[in-house]
Amino acid sequence: MSAELLRGPYKEGFHDDLPVVHKVPKGLKHEVVDYMCDVKKEPDWMREFRHRSLDLFLKQGLPEWLPGLRDEIDYDDITYYVSPVAKSERRWEDVPEEIRRTYDKLGIAKEEQKLLGGLGAQIDSEMAYHNIQESLAKKGVIFLSCDDGMKEFPDLFKEHFSKSIPPEDNKFAALNSAFWSGGSFVYVPKGVKCDVPLSVYFRINAEQFGQFERTLIIVDDDAFCHYVEGCSAPVYTTNSLHSAVVEIFVKNRARCRYTTIQNWSTDVYNLVTKRAMLYEKSVMEWVDGNLGSKRTVKYPSCYMLGEGGHGEVLSLASADKGMWQDAGAKMVFFAPNCTARINSKSISGHGGRSSYRGLVQVRDQAKNCRVQVNCDALILDDKSRSDTYPVMEIKGDLATVEHEASVSNVSEEQLFYLMSRGIKKEEAISLIVNGFIEPIVKELPMEFAVEINRLINLQMEGSVG
Amino acid sequence: MNQTAWQRYQQLPLPTRRDVDWQHFDLRGLKLDNIEKRAQPVTVKLSGKVPTGVIFGELAKHRDAAKSHLGKSITIEERHKFTALHDALWDNGAILYVPRDVRVTEPLEVTYDLPNHGSASFPRTLVVLEPGAEATLVQKFTGSPAVHASGTEVFVQRGARLHYVSMQNFAPTTYDFTLKRAHVAQDAEVDWVIGMFGGALARYDIECVMEGRGGTSFMYGVGLGENKQQLGQFTRQHHQTGDTTSDLLFKNVLRDQAVSNYTGTIKVEKDSNGTNAYQSNRNLVLSDKVQCDTRPILEIESNQLRCTHGATVGRLDDNQLFYLRSRGLSLTQARQALIEAFLEPILARIQIESVREEFSRLIHAKVIR
Repeated sequence: MSAELLRGPYKEGFHDDLPVVHKVPKGLKHEVVDYMCDVKKEPDWMREFRHRSLDLFLKQGLPEWLPGLRDEIDYDDITYYVSPVAKSERRWEDVPEEIRRTYDKLGIAKEEQKLLGGLGAQIDSEMAYHNIQESLAKKGVIFLSCDDGMKEFPDLFKEHFSKSIPPEDNKFAALNSAFWSGGSFVYVPKGVKCDVPLSVYFRINAEQFGQFERTLIIVDDDAFCHYVEGCSAPVYTTNSLHSAVVEIFVKNRARCRYTTIQNWSTDVYNLVTKRAMLYEKSVMEWVDGNLGSKRTVKYPSCYMLGEGGHGEVLSLASADKGMWQDAGAKMVFFAPNCTARINSKSISGHGGRSSYRGLVQVRDQAKNCRVQVNCDALILDDKSRSDTYPVMEIKGDLATVEHEASVSNVSEEQLFYLMSRGIKKEEAISLIVNGFIEPIVKELPMEFAVEINRLINLQMEGSVG
Repeated sequence: MNQTAWQRYQQLPLPTRRDVDWQHFDLRGLKLDNIEKRAQPVTVKLSGKVPTGVIFGELAKHRDAAKSHLGKSITIEERHKFTALHDALWDNGAILYVPRDVRVTEPLEVTYDLPNHGSASFPRTLVVLEPGAEATLVQKFTGSPAVHASGTEVFVQRGARLHYVSMQNFAPTTYDFTLKRAHVAQDAEVDWVIGMFGGALARYDIECVMEGRGGTSFMYGVGLGENKQQLGQFTRQHHQTGDTTSDLLFKNVLRDQAVSNYTGTIKVEKDSNGTNAYQSNRNLVLSDKVQCDTRPILEIESNQLRCTHGATVGRLDDNQLFYLRSRGLSLTQARQALIEAFLEPILARIQIESVREEFSRLIHAKVIR
């Protein structure tokens, strides 16, 4: 049996010639930080923060458990700030035409009217567009680029920024903290329910470039918000870097859902830190779909700070040729009576590698916590690889922790059954794979579920049985 | 002294809490100064009926018989400091050599008595079962050495079968570092049960290497921790060949301020289709001061296979306790019954009644009080 690409043809691999409004010389330099601060007219505390973060990045090593990456990325051969736009617009018509064209090709703008409460579009380092439906704005919902958030709501911003992920947290958080640009700033006031998702699309167009978006989401008491992000990049022969930091604060009894459909080209190293702080009786749900990139290192996490919180990670990884999906989840319990669930599904094919890496940590003060972890992996051929690296560290006798994982191929029995019903082998495999990922796909908004099914499109034509 | 191993021991750094494998362990009580001068000669007590042709005795007295396999598993490549220490300083131990097609029906038992406080002991054990052979071996480690670093090399050749029970019940002052590795050939089977009861710290590396098609390995273990005892279990099911099966279950009961770290790896190499591997670690925690870590790891590079694992950490079930008490059992009796039931699947794997009873006695003395 030989399958074609696991991921359908990569339609987003084009690149456009865009105007250059800002571009700095390559390399890790303090001058770049100064240039960015000047252009962005940032307060002194941010300038100091960025410089300190760059020093931390240069000092910090990579953790021992994270293989590869040591010599793979030449940090001096990357451009840290490139922008084809001068500022983030609130009307689509005001966005420069070339950029609108790029987004039209990606089919982004059309979606807005249909299903979204707000839309943001980032190209390279800066947000080109950020807009929210009037009805939500009237309720006090804030949806801005992170840079604008800092300027327009300095107190709210400063109170939360880098409080859950300080630059000391890890090497890539330090890198992001030094060069962050773009991303979203979201605030949902007390009791407000954002029924329609807020969506942001991240596009890399430049070559040998580093995108460092920074997102800060604050969901106040009893509020609800669903944030959706997508991304893509052109296919070059050189590598790019995407290193985001996403901080979420889910206040008392609030709920937040964060959905990612990561579809980078196989030139992109995707090294992302995502963390949610959960207060009393709050709920955080990460729906994390990783379908692209050369190497993804991402473990969305929930820190249970208030009693009775619930954290959930649904992770779907598909590692095709040339990809290593190093995805997973972290659940850290600081408070009693919290629950969490991690459900991870991965598919490896055509020499791809997928790894689940997870941490469940129950601290001293956390009593009566329950965690359930399920990891299932499917390996489609013998060139591919699958790993499971869970860590569970439990203090005390009042937690209940369960972990289960399995790795298998497409079962002969299931194939035989479907084929005996007159279904062709290629279709049968496709059905089995779709059935395997179904529990995660059904959690996605409809349009994204359709997109996933398109992306994980098994093309088995002309295969040899 | 093996000079190369000694050099390696000296080169390898002492583990710190930064090492993932050691992060909750406290090694401050471990005294390694002049360790090479503190080594005591190892003596073994042997019992059991030995059929003709079978060698069962002190390793030092059977160097010739041991020659073909000794040091073939534990080599200079070992990455642990304490394995290198053992390899550098061991001088005696036990050997069981069963020739082709010989079936030893009665269990053979070897006891390593290592009595001295402050001393160090480094026993080596070699077990070779030639094709078609069968044997049952019981290994017991007791006494109160300050440092104990032992190694056991097991070779189960084509179609041979070994039932192997190993237990340690050191004094609460002993630091025990143990490596056991079995090489399982075509159609061979090894069936292990391991009991970890004593010591200030006991770190066991338990590995099976599946080298031939049709090979099977069952690895079962129980660990009990009380007071400030520290338990480390590092298991590895290494499938180098396809059509092999490995099954693993390690259960721990932890009370007081015990610390435990289970790290288990199933490694399936390329071209090992037909592998069937299972790994399970279950921990029962009886006190809120216990630190219990578990890391079940899978590394899979073949696709026609099935690998599954599971790990749990939990306490006694309130509903079950309530039920038993409603049937007239006291709280203590109910807890006893549930702990016994929790460990029963391990004890049931021991085929020798007297050894099973000894395990049961130790369990009662340590955790069912």
